Amino acid sequence: MRLLVGLINGMIAGATPILLAALGGAFTYYAGIFNIAMEGMMLAGAFGAVVGSYFLHSWVLGIVLSIAFALVLALIFILFSVVLHTDEFVTGIALNLFAVGATTYLMRQTFNVKGVFANEGIIPIPRLDIPLIEQIPFLGEVLSGQNLMVYIAVIAVIAVNFLIFRTRFGMRLRAAGYNAACLDSSGVSTARMRTAALLLCAVLCGLAGAFLSLGYVTLFAENMSAGRGWISLAAIILVSGNPTGIAVISLLFGFSDGLGLLLQDYRVPSQFTSMVPYVATLIALYFYSVKERKRKA
Amino acid sequence: MRNKWVSGLLGVLAALLIGAFIMLLQGFNPLDVYAALFQFSLGGLSPLATTAKNAVPLVLTGLSASIAFASGPVNLGQPGQFLMGALFATVGGLYIHLPPVLEVAVLVLLAMLGGALWAGLAALLRMLFNMSEFIVTLMLNMIADFFTAWAIAGPFMDKSAYSPMTPQIDPAGWLPSIGNFNTTILFMIAAVGVCWFVFNRWKAGYEWRLSGQNSLFARLGGCNIDRNFVSVMLFTGALAGLAGGLLVMAGPHRFLKGLGANYAWDGVMIAIVANNGLIATLLYGFFFSAIQTGALGMELITAVPSEISQVLQAVLVLVIVASREALNVILDRREARRRAKERAA
Repeated sequence: MRLLVGLINGMIAGATPILLAALGGAFTYYAGIFNIAMEGMMLAGAFGAVVGSYFLHSWVLGIVLSIAFALVLALIFILFSVVLHTDEFVTGIALNLFAVGATTYLMRQTFNVKGVFANEGIIPIPRLDIPLIEQIPFLGEVLSGQNLMVYIAVIAVIAVNFLIFRTRFGMRLRAAGYNAACLDSSGVSTARMRTAALLLCAVLCGLAGAFLSLGYVTLFAENMSAGRGWISLAAIILVSGNPTGIAVISLLFGFSDGLGLLLQDYRVPSQFTSMVPYVATLIALYFYSVKERKRKA
Repeated sequence: MRNKWVSGLLGVLAALLIGAFIMLLQGFNPLDVYAALFQFSLGGLSPLATTAKNAVPLVLTGLSASIAFASGPVNLGQPGQFLMGALFATVGGLYIHLPPVLEVAVLVLLAMLGGALWAGLAALLRMLFNMSEFIVTLMLNMIADFFTAWAIAGPFMDKSAYSPMTPQIDPAGWLPSIGNFNTTILFMIAAVGVCWFVFNRWKAGYEWRLSGQNSLFARLGGCNIDRNFVSVMLFTGALAGLAGGLLVMAGPHRFLKGLGANYAWDGVMIAIVANNGLIATLLYGFFFSAIQTGALGMELITAVPSEISQVLQAVLVLVIVASREALNVILDRREARRRAKERAA
């Protein structure tokens, strides 16, 4: 039982950052932007969260700053790809590089350390104990006592679903991706919809970053997003952007993350257990390709 | 052709200006910083030799990305192929003992084999299951990263070292220096030459370029698209692997922890800036190497951390690409206006 609870909690913690970033990517996916900058936005968010939490002594301000840092990247993305019409792929890669370079540089500059900044002054995002539910055996241990950001992620799934499929804004957003010329000729600016999608994406990626550096662990490390942005991109492609599907896929990736940690107890070298999420992505991609081929045939 | 030079130079200038602005915001004197940066990378024979040596992995991974992108396959796996090439060369150097020239040849071939195998795995998955090489190569990068980390901390670890690394390879496989210049530079120049020849003069290269520009046209014209895809992946994988192998053979002569970390995305970055041109890849590779090399020296005499080079590089990429596209738009508009005027006349 203990093992199961540990595995499930590991799964939830591993899934949360991927889920949040992938939900952000869902906006840009539907708006027809090939957005690969989630990785960089998440990293910028993680750095912003630590800066806010450490200097302003509050995790709330940490989250605010994480969103602000991610938004800066989104604004650069908008300037280049929406305004100047540079290639989205190129812009995304350059932004990811920029995020790695800028956070490494700023970490050195502000905290005067290389590699990792860990300090007791960083205030983590608290865990939330839900009264009554926490009394229930087993379920209480899973449903209650999670990091606040986990609950925000669950709400975000519902909110994103509603926003994309049930509102006028969502319809226009999807139209921007489905047929941009048609949307433009009906009097709604595609560029504006794409801008909105990128800003929303940055907000969610900022939250993902804040969870990484103030929830999953309480420190900032160079390049700590470690490919999670790419995994979230894979998640989006695998389910064609559907938010509910993204939630399921993220949990699967989270499970592989938790499984990796569990395997370490069985003397499997840690390098191999760390590979598990990436191998899981390849396996998921395999099933996706097989399904696609059947659909086409 | 002239446009390329104009937009490139304009982009570099604009990026350096933006970099200067960032430094001013931080309270540094940008002129001092740039002077130190280029003093330590281009000022004199010895700095120039270091810059050229450091340019080798950048140019080779850049060529790998350029040729892949220009031929169609989105091979983003240079970091992983680089690591596998380095690992193959290192392991070869540990267990194979031959006379110097032969040893070098064997290790170089092993490095290329390592990179090609890792890229070939992605190509295989694409051919068998139609899995997009874009995500597959990205995931394989991560897997290669952990796999090599395991290899140098486990089976091939130097027991006397304090951090994960392999023992030194057979000295017969070390690439010597001639004066200040390391012989890896010769391999780089040879690789650029071979790539240019294959890409621009060979039938295979012609088919690759054709497939990259219009895959359907290439297929209707009788090219075997699948075979070209696999051969491009193997070729570009071998280039990235060669970069890894040469780095080991020239520099530390062993596989250290974090060996490829500095070159992770640089190949893709340079290919993008160079717009997949081979000669441009060589030039930009050298330029980026100058920035990286100079930054380390600059750190010694100014208060600016060397990580500023990473910021500078990212700004360079964005600005060079944006100015190229912007220039194209302006030229297209002017052309359109000229035609409209001609028609009206």
